[in-house]
Amino acid sequence: MEAYLLAIAIFVAIFTLLTLGLNLQYGLTGLTNFGLVGFFGIGAYASAILTTHGYPVVAGFAAGAALAVIAAWPIGLVALRLRDDYFAIATLGLSEVVRVAIISEKELTAGVQGIPGIPRLFAVLESRTWQPLLLLAVLVAANLGVVLVMRRIARSPFGRVIGAIRDNEEAVRALGKDPARFKTQVLMVGAGLSAVAGSFYAHYVGYVTPDQITPLVTFQIWMAMILGGTGRISGAVLGTLLLMLLIEGARFLPDLLPFVSSTAMAELRVFVVGLALVLFTVYRPQGLMGEVARR
Amino acid sequence: MLSLDLLVAGLISGLVIGLSALAVTLVFGVARFPNAATGDAMSLGAYAALAVAAGTGSLVAGGVAAVLAGILLNVILYLLVFRRLSDRSPIMSLLASIGAGFMIRSSLGLVYGQDPQAFRVPLARPLVLLDVRVQWLDLKLAGLTLATLAVVYLILAKTAAGRRMRAVSADPALARVSGIDPTRVMLTLWALAGGVSAVAGLVLGLKTVVTPDLGWNLLLPAFAAAVLGGIGSPLGAVAAGILLGIVQELATPFVGFTYKIAIAFAVLMLVLLIRPRGLFGRAEGAR
Repeated sequence: MEAYLLAIAIFVAIFTLLTLGLNLQYGLTGLTNFGLVGFFGIGAYASAILTTHGYPVVAGFAAGAALAVIAAWPIGLVALRLRDDYFAIATLGLSEVVRVAIISEKELTAGVQGIPGIPRLFAVLESRTWQPLLLLAVLVAANLGVVLVMRRIARSPFGRVIGAIRDNEEAVRALGKDPARFKTQVLMVGAGLSAVAGSFYAHYVGYVTPDQITPLVTFQIWMAMILGGTGRISGAVLGTLLLMLLIEGARFLPDLLPFVSSTAMAELRVFVVGLALVLFTVYRPQGLMGEVARR
Repeated sequence: MLSLDLLVAGLISGLVIGLSALAVTLVFGVARFPNAATGDAMSLGAYAALAVAAGTGSLVAGGVAAVLAGILLNVILYLLVFRRLSDRSPIMSLLASIGAGFMIRSSLGLVYGQDPQAFRVPLARPLVLLDVRVQWLDLKLAGLTLATLAVVYLILAKTAAGRRMRAVSADPALARVSGIDPTRVMLTLWALAGGVSAVAGLVLGLKTVVTPDLGWNLLLPAFAAAVLGGIGSPLGAVAAGILLGIVQELATPFVGFTYKIAIAFAVLMLVLLIRPRGLFGRAEGAR
């Protein structure tokens, strides 16, 4: 049981990194990134490919983040001049293209079979209890670092500009600032952060397949952000935790309903995420705690 | 003549893209609602057709069931969910429709499983025209697609309901003060889009195999074609769908068939950059 709780905590910490990245992009800047999972996938696969070829772990993290930032740059240039809904569809398309590329480039990614045998982080610690605890500590520290940096950003002149872009882009343009440049920078930072989360994920789970890079992940993170309250930095942690409880709670259903098979469970989880998205967008777009009203 | 064969294949898959783009553009153009559950309405239609065709042995009955299922689904979604989002940001509409799509897809997965299912279609010798082999099924599907387009066109152009829809599309406020009941118009619109989606799903299911992801995989090409044709332009959506289908097939020898979706993405980005209002669209900003 402790091992299970520890595993959940590690997943929550990894996905909180993604939720924080989304909060920076949508909550603070108003960027409707529907392609989060694409950048997450770039990080996961960069780590998987490099470390299974004998390169150090750091190389995987660095390459993943760098590739994601580079991939975000042209998207920023092209897509940020678009209206919100078009930008959302464009980024959703980008993440599907990343997934298709992973499936197709078999020599590099092993296609649909995926890459197994990705080394654990801190594997020098043989102990089965200390290794995940250390990983969790590192992840918590990473999350804290991101929260602190985001708080600083939100209060900096840069943060005031991106907040103004979110609230009224025309006004920002009228003041002589180019919103597209700021948005591109935010998109690139968010992409790098998503890739780091992807690297952590690959090392923790130990294998990567294209099935882990589906849009479902993106919208789980959107759901987590909405739960915690859009634009609330601390809400990202709470939202991710609640979402994981919601999804993981479904894992205990088989004990109560033994006739439900494991494939049915996977479908039920998708259903729960979908239902939550519908209910929250209709009834509580401001999240569980309320206040920050965004349209 | 390899390229002619590809051209015919592109034409057929383009008709499917065109139909789904038509469903997207109707709702996006008139209700200004980017409906990401369009693909899942297609999948539902395909499964409804499968179930009824297996039960009755009649593909026609299956097609009727598909259309009814698509209409019913969209009307329910509109009344329960989408109606309440009309005054919110389009992002909330997108998120809600994506959530609804997840619910439909997982329900189909729960009931029918992830294994692909196929329609039982009798084999027939292909027709040979100018050295190009054309399957009878393809011809029938093309006929069905064109008939659907004709019906949609007639409804939009010749009926009172269609006139009201176009009025709402052109200027919602003016339509309202002219005494047009927006709820009735929206119900007709969503029903029409649901029926069209279901036919698209049926045609795609007959061409390939039916899985719960059937329609979702076509969502990006559908949006790309709707944007290329100009949001709100039914004729443009279909023309752009055919164009996109042909481009995808002709590019296959060079990029491999798995990258079809990347071509749809590239087309979408190019159109949004160069001519955001599309081929036939009105001058409304996508930027």
